[in-house]
Amino acid sequence: MTRIRSSVFSLLLLALFSASAFAQGRRISGRVTVEGSGEPLANASVSVVGTALGTYTDDQGRFSVTTPDNGPATLRVRRIGYIQKSVAVPAGATESNIGLARDILQLETQVVTGTATTVSSVNAANAVTVINSEKLNKVPAQTIDYALQGKIPGALVTQNSGAPGGGVQIQLRGISTINASFQPIYVIDGVIVDNSQIANGINAITAAAGGNFGSTQDVRVNRTADLNPNDIETIQILKGPSASSIYGSRGTNGVIIITTKQGQAGQTTLDFTQRFGSAAISNKIGIRCFSSGAEVDAAGFDSTGFGAATNKCHDYQQELYGEHPFNYQTIASLRGATPGGTNFYLSGLVQHDGGLVHNDNYNKQSIRANVGQKFGGRLTARVNSELIHSLTERGISGNDNTGINPYTLFSEQPSFLDLRRQADGTFPVGPIVANTSNPFQNAELIKTPEDVFRMLGSGSLAYDFISTDRQKLDFTLNGGVDSYSDHAKVISPATAYVEQVNANPGTIVVGDANIVNATLGGILRHQLVANAFSATTSAGFGQVRRNTDVIENTGRGIFPGVTNVSSATQIFTTESQDIVKSSSLFGQEEFLTLSERLLLTAGVTAERTSNNGDPKKYYAYPKFSASYRLPFLPPKTDELKLRLAYGRAGNQPLSGKYTFLTNLIEEGVTGFRASTAKGFPGIKPETTSEIEGGLDWTLFTGRARFSATQFRKQTDNLLLTASIAPSTGFTSQTINGGQLVTHGTELELGMTPIRMGQLEWISNTTYSSNKGKVTQLPVPGFIPASGSFGSRFGNAFIKQGQLITVLQAINGCTALNAAGTACPSANRVLTFVGNSAPDYEMGFSNDLNFGSFHFSSLVDWRKGGLGVNLTNDYFVGAGTLADTARATKMLSDFAKGIDVWVENSGFVKIRELTLGYDLPAGLATRLFQGRVQSARVELSGRNLKTWTKYTGLDPEVSNFGNQPLGRFQDVTPYPPSRLWYFTINTTF
Amino acid sequence: MKRYSTIALAVAVAATAACKDNAVVNPIDAPTVGALSGALTRVTLQQLATGALAQDRGSANAFAYAIETGILARDVYRIDASEPRFVQETLGGNPDPGSFSGSGAWQGYYTAMRAENNLILALANAPASQFTAAEVNATRGFIRTMKAIELWRVIEVHDTVGATIQTDDVDAVTPVRCKTAVLAYIAALLDSANTDLAAAGGTTVVPFKMPSGFTAFGRDYSKVSNLILFNRGWKGKVDYYRALDRTSPTPALFATAITELTTALGAGPGAVPSSQFNTGAYYVFVPGGSENTPNTISDSKIGLNPLVQDSVQAGDTRASKIVPRTALAGFGLSTTITYVFAVASTANQSHPLAILRDEELVLLRAQAEIEAGQFANAVLDVNSVRTSYGLTATAFATQAAGRNAVLYEKRYSLLFEGPQRFDDLREYKMLNATFHRPETSTDPFNAALPLPRAELNARALTTNPACTS
Repeated sequence: MTRIRSSVFSLLLLALFSASAFAQGRRISGRVTVEGSGEPLANASVSVVGTALGTYTDDQGRFSVTTPDNGPATLRVRRIGYIQKSVAVPAGATESNIGLARDILQLETQVVTGTATTVSSVNAANAVTVINSEKLNKVPAQTIDYALQGKIPGALVTQNSGAPGGGVQIQLRGISTINASFQPIYVIDGVIVDNSQIANGINAITAAAGGNFGSTQDVRVNRTADLNPNDIETIQILKGPSASSIYGSRGTNGVIIITTKQGQAGQTTLDFTQRFGSAAISNKIGIRCFSSGAEVDAAGFDSTGFGAATNKCHDYQQELYGEHPFNYQTIASLRGATPGGTNFYLSGLVQHDGGLVHNDNYNKQSIRANVGQKFGGRLTARVNSELIHSLTERGISGNDNTGINPYTLFSEQPSFLDLRRQADGTFPVGPIVANTSNPFQNAELIKTPEDVFRMLGSGSLAYDFISTDRQKLDFTLNGGVDSYSDHAKVISPATAYVEQVNANPGTIVVGDANIVNATLGGILRHQLVANAFSATTSAGFGQVRRNTDVIENTGRGIFPGVTNVSSATQIFTTESQDIVKSSSLFGQEEFLTLSERLLLTAGVTAERTSNNGDPKKYYAYPKFSASYRLPFLPPKTDELKLRLAYGRAGNQPLSGKYTFLTNLIEEGVTGFRASTAKGFPGIKPETTSEIEGGLDWTLFTGRARFSATQFRKQTDNLLLTASIAPSTGFTSQTINGGQLVTHGTELELGMTPIRMGQLEWISNTTYSSNKGKVTQLPVPGFIPASGSFGSRFGNAFIKQGQLITVLQAINGCTALNAAGTACPSANRVLTFVGNSAPDYEMGFSNDLNFGSFHFSSLVDWRKGGLGVNLTNDYFVGAGTLADTARATKMLSDFAKGIDVWVENSGFVKIRELTLGYDLPAGLATRLFQGRVQSARVELSGRNLKTWTKYTGLDPEVSNFGNQPLGRFQDVTPYPPSRLWYFTINTTF
Repeated sequence: MKRYSTIALAVAVAATAACKDNAVVNPIDAPTVGALSGALTRVTLQQLATGALAQDRGSANAFAYAIETGILARDVYRIDASEPRFVQETLGGNPDPGSFSGSGAWQGYYTAMRAENNLILALANAPASQFTAAEVNATRGFIRTMKAIELWRVIEVHDTVGATIQTDDVDAVTPVRCKTAVLAYIAALLDSANTDLAAAGGTTVVPFKMPSGFTAFGRDYSKVSNLILFNRGWKGKVDYYRALDRTSPTPALFATAITELTTALGAGPGAVPSSQFNTGAYYVFVPGGSENTPNTISDSKIGLNPLVQDSVQAGDTRASKIVPRTALAGFGLSTTITYVFAVASTANQSHPLAILRDEELVLLRAQAEIEAGQFANAVLDVNSVRTSYGLTATAFATQAAGRNAVLYEKRYSLLFEGPQRFDDLREYKMLNATFHRPETSTDPFNAALPLPRAELNARALTTNPACTS
């Protein structure tokens, strides 16, 4: 540490002895336009190569820059989204007009290499995916995660349920852990933001996991759902430790770095977008219709009333989930800068998405203000802040044990029964189910509002100590807070039939989660540009603090209409709280040489975390990388780069350090004894080392780009639960041990096959595959804690030598019973039936532009993978599946020990489809009374069509929400929907 | 230049502040064992004593204590669909070490021992400002006695398989010791506890509130003078079984046991009044509420072996413990009777369970007297129990007749009060088909539970290891 601090001082000293000189030169002016269309290009940076002189273009693309002398000069023109260009200006010339080509294939995006350093993708040594605002928001999405589906090679973005408001898991490069954090971290403008899943408490009424409080089966939303995708300028995805090692013990699962939009020089623009849309159920279970009372009786139901029913077959799914909600999003943003050095981006969002059930919905409002201010030439201050409110009502779905979930009830009642609200306003009692629960009444009476207020704020101060053509030294202090309160209520009134069987009818759950993440960092960066090389040195510190406090109160026995939990007959309370503090120091050196062909990077982060056994011990996370642009190129090649990167990141323990005291009560007196879970004082982070290599190949004068990446990721010191000898008085202990190795391949091919006049076709194809294997395991094989329904149906299993994503189930029988109809339990064969993860995933994105018309599509294909369809079990077991022959066979096979519920969950989905039209300038001006610069209308859709062999509602579903392993359990979920939007976008 | 220095200083300060930030976060959700390392207070002692005693109660209120040993002694059936645990692995086969029936009587007791060991260690830090030396000794003597009881309960059902002796080292996985060694350890522990209690002095009162089961059943064990009786009663019981041990008997200990039991009872052969029989220490159960610890015997799936009713002698008032029930059948077994407290009801869920009461001590003394050849004294003790239940006095003058006579009294006096009958049948070498009707076609007459699977796994074993002496 002392050494790091002294090197900081050496750099400062270096800065103090530097000097700079100025001389008078000439003025060069000109215009920057888009190649092809000739449109003026505002906000392009124009700099004089070899000097620190530069400027930005105005709205008409005009610029004027001063050179140091009258000799020949080179101007470098850059703008995000365009391929940079250097233009020679002969001695004495004062005018230069420059055309920039659009960087359709992202050949020159800036990608992050550290906390404050970036490098052009031309030199980047890692396969970092960059998604810009345009690509992200092609089709409106309820939450940001949906908008990433199919766009990132190496990322599996999977939706847990069709319920409104989110619940999406992002997994980068497979699985890196069993028991620690399994999701990438999200960093927005330098602040780590929380992505917890908070249970809303419906478990208190569904009893999916039993007890009085929320559970992992509450159809939880991961809280990055709160973010407003429209505020995002770019998303950079660091997929593994070779890129994310700087994030220390949070970097194992990759990092999603989000940069929000900032104000920019030039005329202030007001962007206004109005969207209207709707949704519809996109898949249904085939539910059986009965043709006669005798058939009803034969299926084991009571046929009373069958003849009298006017409509003998109710499409329950259409009746309940048939809503076509009116959805809307209103987005406005104001972006600009003042001559006084202030730049600003202000935005607002109002969004409403209805669910397929009329009481279900998702609502979000947010306002953001990003303001930057320059003080003189050296000091820049910036404040970004966003206030978000969301209200989600998701209703009841997923596993239940009380007969409350619609699909459970659909499966148990013959479809001739009309369960809808009657003319007199009452709901028929469910005559078949024991508790008389009625799904239509439940949907009407049970409320599940979840209110989230979230504040995201960050500020930074940057000071340029030195800024010359040869040398730059700056310091940035960056800090921020992500804070939210999640107030969830479940109100299940005593008047609901399902409540009336309870000893104390009427349930209220009030849950409050308060979560704060605070980040502080300082970075000193030095850049030295010499003739033969340029070197960027950065060093700094970082601190992260996280406080969580989650409290739940459940009341049972509440008078109808009362929403106050304190009036309950019985009240149950639980609270969990946590504080985690981390502190890190880092240093990094980037060395670009051989005419900018060779980039070498080395860095190390040393980090300590309060969750570690020794909270004062620093763990080191090093990284090294090299990239080389080949000087001798094959034909038709513009650029060919080879890259190799190594990095190590960690995954901090979440618990397991302490032996807690467990409280026991005897005759009302509270006592304590040591818990049977023994603490491990030496607990340390899991460490994942990744080596990644690949090539980036640009061909046909920028018309095609091919990128290939191969990686090997190895996680050691896995946090595992070991059984210990109970004679010690303890039964388990968290230990570090074992090893997990993942290999994977990612390919990306971007092309512009057609670019002829008005017609342009841009195509991007991605492929990724990975497989992780448990190579060492110091404990006996086990079913991970993440939740399953046992091996009769299928569960994840951790075993040395097996895939980490293996699915274990009973499949086979050593000898059937004498009748040959069933497999005695002792004869069932427990086996590994396959890989639950897909073999590979491909994304096909195609954009077709013809003048003012724009068409784009995104198709997501997952090959293979297995799911456990327990939804089928409900209908098959009850005899209510339409395909009775199949149901009979499944039941018979199941009795014989065959894993009939395990199904291939591969699919092809049309994720996004958009048809857009830019209104001609004249029309736009007329329509909007001359105040509009441009206007576009769009018709778009999301999840429009799915092709799959999977027989459940949606192959992506996960009953337990986001979890590292075994997320393939499908239990009576909320059905998926297809969404359409009509959008008008205008820029003033 | 000056400004640079100012900013450099600010950077240095920020970096230093970052390094100086306190790295340690104390857990806020629950206390840790670290809380035990400081000075002990009366409040903490109360919590630790309650924690240890509640764990002890919970361990004894499990299936393996009274119900499973009742099944193994063939007095009890538990018939429900959740097999194989209640019939197929008890009367019909061997308990699997990984199963519910095979893994019992182990972890709960060792967890209680850990709680007791932690408490004894914490007593080393009991400041004089909080506790008198006598109070510390009284507490240590009581907790050591409880620790001896935990280990006794492990070894009484693990028998020849053995048990381990837990040490203060939380990481130590100690060898599996044979029964003789374990019993010797228990006896020594009870004696050291007795030394503590003697040092405390009879008038000392333990410095915490005991559960009512220790104070409200005829004798207040919060007083050291009574704790000494409790300790000696246990020592007598342990010494009797050490003396009798069917694989390694030590007959010299019968006399020791008789002396200790007489100390515990405070009266000689035949002189213990029946009004004293229920005096002793008990577990008191609190069904419902947040405590919710119903007596596990109160279970509608439990019935008695019909032979229990058939064997009861005419006029025995203890027959009132046996009541008819609706037929319970399954797995080749059937019964129409049960023990009155097994009938599920709120009252029965709070029915106290004796830890050790004087009636058992009287019969234990009779057993010791029989083995020591003191038949006259044994007859006096047996008859003092027998006649109090409306039966005529009996007489015997041989070991075999004496054993049978005392077995009858123990069966009905201590019906469903723990493993006493299981222990006796086994040590009398009567747990076999010669003395019993096999209850199922494959009845194996299990004499011991195996080491639980978790214990085997932690020792990288698949079967019970040979115990060390």
